[in-house]
Amino acid sequence: MNSLMSNHKNKPSPNGKRQHKSSTRTYSIPDYRLEVPDYIVRQVRSGDEFRYEVEGDLNTPVPPIRDSNYLSKQQCIEIYRYMLLNRRMETALENLYKQGKVVGGVYFGLGQEACSCASAYALDKDDWFAPMIRNQGSLLVRGFRASDTMMQYMAKAGSPTKGRDGTSHFGDIEKRNMVSPISMLGDLIPVLSGVALGARLQGRNIAVMTYIGDGGQSTGVTYEGINFAAVQNLGLVLFIESNLWAYSTPSEMQYRVKDLAERAIGYGIPGVIIDGTDACQVYDAAREAVERAHGGEGPTLIEAKMMRMKGHAIHDAADYVPKPLFDYWKKRDPITRFENYLVREKKWLSAKENADLIAEVERVIEEEREIAVNSPMPTPESAEGGVYCEDGCHVIKPKYGLPKVRTTKSSAGPKQTEAAVHLK
Amino acid sequence: MPQLTYLEAIRQGIWEEMEKDPTVFCLGEDIGIYGGAFKVTDGFIDRFGPERVVDTPIAESAIVGAAFGASLTGMRPVAEFQFMDFIACAMNQISNMVAKTHYLWGAPAPLVLRGPSGGYVHGGPFHSQNPEMWFVHNPGLKVICPATPYDAKGLMKAAIRDNNPCIFLEHKYLYRRIKEEVPPDDYIVPLGKARIARAGRDLSIITYAALVHTALEAAGALSKEGIEIEILDLRTLAPLDQEAIVQTVRKTSKVIVLHEHSRTGGIAGEIAAIINERAFDDLDGPILRITGLDSAVPFSPPQEHHYLPQVADVIEQARKLKSY
Repeated sequence: MNSLMSNHKNKPSPNGKRQHKSSTRTYSIPDYRLEVPDYIVRQVRSGDEFRYEVEGDLNTPVPPIRDSNYLSKQQCIEIYRYMLLNRRMETALENLYKQGKVVGGVYFGLGQEACSCASAYALDKDDWFAPMIRNQGSLLVRGFRASDTMMQYMAKAGSPTKGRDGTSHFGDIEKRNMVSPISMLGDLIPVLSGVALGARLQGRNIAVMTYIGDGGQSTGVTYEGINFAAVQNLGLVLFIESNLWAYSTPSEMQYRVKDLAERAIGYGIPGVIIDGTDACQVYDAAREAVERAHGGEGPTLIEAKMMRMKGHAIHDAADYVPKPLFDYWKKRDPITRFENYLVREKKWLSAKENADLIAEVERVIEEEREIAVNSPMPTPESAEGGVYCEDGCHVIKPKYGLPKVRTTKSSAGPKQTEAAVHLK
Repeated sequence: MPQLTYLEAIRQGIWEEMEKDPTVFCLGEDIGIYGGAFKVTDGFIDRFGPERVVDTPIAESAIVGAAFGASLTGMRPVAEFQFMDFIACAMNQISNMVAKTHYLWGAPAPLVLRGPSGGYVHGGPFHSQNPEMWFVHNPGLKVICPATPYDAKGLMKAAIRDNNPCIFLEHKYLYRRIKEEVPPDDYIVPLGKARIARAGRDLSIITYAALVHTALEAAGALSKEGIEIEILDLRTLAPLDQEAIVQTVRKTSKVIVLHEHSRTGGIAGEIAAIINERAFDDLDGPILRITGLDSAVPFSPPQEHHYLPQVADVIEQARKLKSY
């Protein structure tokens, strides 16, 4: 993947001269997948009803995991463990839901664990991130506990928002540098860009990572946010999680370009395509984007291809999804593939070590589940207060140090021009 | 003491805070070399550089989002809207992201979203609005509407230093029309404290921003008829100085609420409810409202004149209430 970020052709010519001749410009979007699926989904009439149908070759063999250029054996195993934690946590949440202990629904990242975990794993401590609803694995990688997310779902007093919001909607600007998501899609992109802007004013080029789906990227604020990061050359690392279904709408009805990574050309930033079910590809792309951010080289768009393997939330059986598509992607399960890679292909984990690891993860999740279940519900009165940051509630200071101020002596005070202004 | 216009006072307030605090920076459309559509930030880029005077794309959601993100790192951004009408483009960022952040997950958002609002300049439906109530109805925001140069500077400095998101509405009719002595030194006007703009015994007009001057002009005329009007300038609509509202009702027992924005769901309704709850027994007459119409702000001068409260409206309603 060495050439991953050198695709950006929209640069002045080496001699710095503008070229006035008409010319055909070429752009490339590197595609690091070892397999490019060949099918489409469309609406068809079937008797009196419309339904979705998939057409194409769904019998291709499962591709291997692409060896990482960066990850050590231990790091691979650590990512694998986070992916296991992610999935087991969601299984526990599904059970809690069935026991009536969850308030509202449960959102799953089934099939997307490699993308959540290996992406966040590429961040350094001082970097920032903001998850979307399905990136519950990213939170674990950044040091939140499974019980944090579980308590959010159960609306418990001990949850990070103390019951005020659910799911992955929480944050931490002190230690883990996480911005809380909101339910509206795309709004995190300019916010994370602003985090990078704030850090840069304090003398630091940091990476700011967030995610958007193939559905969410349709929003206008997505465009505004990426464009702002591009113009300001901020270290945004944006994962477009192309998981094929936006609630019940297939990606074919969401956009017209072949691949969403192509959008990067329009923003004037690098874009790449990776297999979102391959943890090594996710990590390598994320790491290179993070390093670009640290070097002050600006934003990167990474399109990760995969499929959302459950409905929008637990209430949704996803029976609008053609079954052959589930079968196809089930064979590409990110955990099964990574386990196979570590245990059988690389032999970095023995069967026993793998079994021990799985047992340890299950033990952790059970302990976390206990903590979450035993947390009390909040008192009714705790709905009040905290709307405003009152005196003494927060000390606000620059996180990376006081900005170095560069003032010129050219102007002693503000100008007092009475120039032509709008609507005097 | 130097005489400053309302606009110069705002400019001085931001400038002084930028001089004093390196975490303060500005962002917005055309605010750099051009100095902003109304020239509020004229000369700022020469002094503070493009790092702290950031010209942005025409993207209001990105401006608010970026300001909010920067505030999470401990910066104090001051974001300009070319006209406050356009703040609607960023409503989701403001309402769902910024306003709720402290309540939901405990993160303070010390940012100022500022820009020109208000009518009387024939700006038409998209350059004349008074969007303050959109924000008053969003718990978590502070909403600031200065009426004088002194207050504009002091409230701006208070807003920049506040640890909460502040919507700062600068009345564009006042920008270059009013002038007063403004101390060249450091002072703030605290958020949430109304002021008596004119003391009087017969009835109270509760208002803010440009209409404070309308009320003052009406009060001058009514004084000649022996009607002494008290004018309460709210200064901020959130927090709302309920105590000052109750005090003036106790003093005069008759109240007119005067505002520029549309009548239905306006601040007058809220103030009337507060008076009902806290000072009903002190009332000697109905609470009257003088407001904009329930329509968009029309463009043509005769229509705009009809839409907006005028001095004559205030005089007429005050006479009516006085004789009640």
